[in-house]
Amino acid sequence: MDGCKFFGAFRACSGIKDAVVLSHCPVGCNWGAMILKNTSNQSDIRQACTVMHEREIVFGGEEALREALVRADKLYNTPLLAVIAGCAPTVIGDDIEAVVNSVELNKEVVWMDAAGFKDNMGKGYEEALVHLARLMKECETVEKSVNLIGFCPDDFKVDADLKEIKRLLNHAGIKVNCVISKCSFHEFVNAPAAELNVVMGQGTELAEHMKREFGVPYLAVGYPYGLEGTTDFINAICEHLHIEAKEKELDFELESFKRIYLYLHELYGTPVSVIGDFHAESMANFLDRELGFDIEVLNSNEDDYYTFEQNVRASNTTILFGSSFERNIAVELRIPLVRFTYPVFDHVCVYDDAPFAGFRGAVCLTETILNAVMGFGTKEINKYITK
Amino acid sequence: MRKFCIYGKGGIGKSTIVSNIAAALAEDNNMTVMVMGCDPKSDSTRNLAGRRISTVLDVFRAKGPDKMKLEEIVFEGFNGVYCVESGGPEPGVGCAGRGVITAADMLVRLGAYNDLKPDVVIYDVLGDVVCGGFAMPLRQGLADDVYIVTTCDPMAIYAANNISKGIKRFADRSEVFLGGIIYNGRSVVDEPTIIESFAARLGAKVMGKILMSKLIPRAEIRRKTVLEYAPDSEIADLFRDLAFALYENEDRIIPEPLSDVELDEINEEIEVLLREKEQA
Repeated sequence: MDGCKFFGAFRACSGIKDAVVLSHCPVGCNWGAMILKNTSNQSDIRQACTVMHEREIVFGGEEALREALVRADKLYNTPLLAVIAGCAPTVIGDDIEAVVNSVELNKEVVWMDAAGFKDNMGKGYEEALVHLARLMKECETVEKSVNLIGFCPDDFKVDADLKEIKRLLNHAGIKVNCVISKCSFHEFVNAPAAELNVVMGQGTELAEHMKREFGVPYLAVGYPYGLEGTTDFINAICEHLHIEAKEKELDFELESFKRIYLYLHELYGTPVSVIGDFHAESMANFLDRELGFDIEVLNSNEDDYYTFEQNVRASNTTILFGSSFERNIAVELRIPLVRFTYPVFDHVCVYDDAPFAGFRGAVCLTETILNAVMGFGTKEINKYITK
Repeated sequence: MRKFCIYGKGGIGKSTIVSNIAAALAEDNNMTVMVMGCDPKSDSTRNLAGRRISTVLDVFRAKGPDKMKLEEIVFEGFNGVYCVESGGPEPGVGCAGRGVITAADMLVRLGAYNDLKPDVVIYDVLGDVVCGGFAMPLRQGLADDVYIVTTCDPMAIYAANNISKGIKRFADRSEVFLGGIIYNGRSVVDEPTIIESFAARLGAKVMGKILMSKLIPRAEIRRKTVLEYAPDSEIADLFRDLAFALYENEDRIIPEPLSDVELDEINEEIEVLLREKEQA
């Protein structure tokens, strides 16, 4: 189950922490984008909308957009206004470029056509970042520094994961220059200062663009789940930057696993299924390689969802890894659901020291999985038995 | 309630025909007639109302759907004909097709049919069925049947054929049917047999013919129908005959649109006639 191009563009743009996103669309798209973004960050509302009604569809939305641009410019003291056009203005052919050019604003304005019917969420994310990249400027390269590309501000555990990834990279002597897209306008503009772009699942088009325009090379890596996954992640980056990786961190984290050794032994060979965006593959690698689970079904969001459900039903899956969207099938199959990927709207994650990524993340993730199984208690199961 | 649409190529005389037959049907307090112009140019009812009236979408834009009133969008014209214009966006912006749908929705919502209880509703729709919006009068039982106006010109016939394709789509679902063809004699060659053969190939009949007449532009310059300007003229009688022919028509067909080859054959017939005319 994949989101549309509009959602991808919205997530990319709203990741610039001091930008305001102006959506040119009817109210529903705006509401949907907000509700999925703000589950775990309710104070961060930096979005405006033209709220197209029937009037704007018939007579064109250009006037509404002009008014919204002026108002958003006054209302928000931010350096950047990102205008995202959804389906409706694209269908009726609003001349957005002309409207944007016709108003004098105090901020930088970047606009993009992100009609949902044109493409999927991943494509919207890629294109939006390339649009935003025109704000970047040539910088002095900072040695041993990287940009992390592929993040969204509403990824589950994003704050905690980034804190852990930065800790590990810093430990290895690497500075994180900019996280895209979860950074300030200033950081984004100065992204070309990095020695290397680390692409984690998405943002390849931006990386290609930056390689062409600014000569920043890029490296595609998986999301650092698990001890081995994280080691691979750090080693790959260190190798590229000609740094010798330090190993001692690893020993410390292994202690935690020793304490729950019996459970891990018991769960060895557990059949599980995984669905999600690019995180899914890295997650499946961790579950398979490090916990010894059997992966029954591994699906990308872009695959057919109905087939996924059918395949899961037909499998021996006993734990499901996915997003809040998988709740129904998990309830139907009476199996625990571990939420790890966007969108998660029925769980919050506000504590930023409990990541899923990195070495510490490996511990938290394992703890979460064990508790999902153990906490799938008698009460829950009895409910089904008495039916 | 008898309700039908008039379609045809732009500038073919749809509004002239619609306003005159509406005036004819409403003559002597015979019937309550409503004309709805479905063209963003909103000039269909100009000759009935004697002026440009506010359109449904003008009022919709200014007041929104909840505050607008029926009397702001329905105007009485010559012979008491109710005149409505759907209106639309400025050329080059927005979505005129959606505008037709919005206007039609608003008419139903404000009770134009239930409260005014017209005996006849005539829709005057712009040149072609370019998108779903302009097919609105063909849908949801808004009209019983459609009459297509054409001259003897190849492009007018081509447009009529294209409109038939749109009608066929909805006729197959029994939503609307083709009632017939109206022949307008105002063209380079005036040869009714061409149109009769075209109509026959569609499976339709020719409902009437409008002659080329100087009275029509004279009346229109004065923003009048011919029925008002020259009620005793031959052309006024032609409109009366046509009006009742449409009103009483019960033959409704699913048209069989012509292929490009068949259209080319008609073109050739027209060319032969043109040559004959030049030699004469």
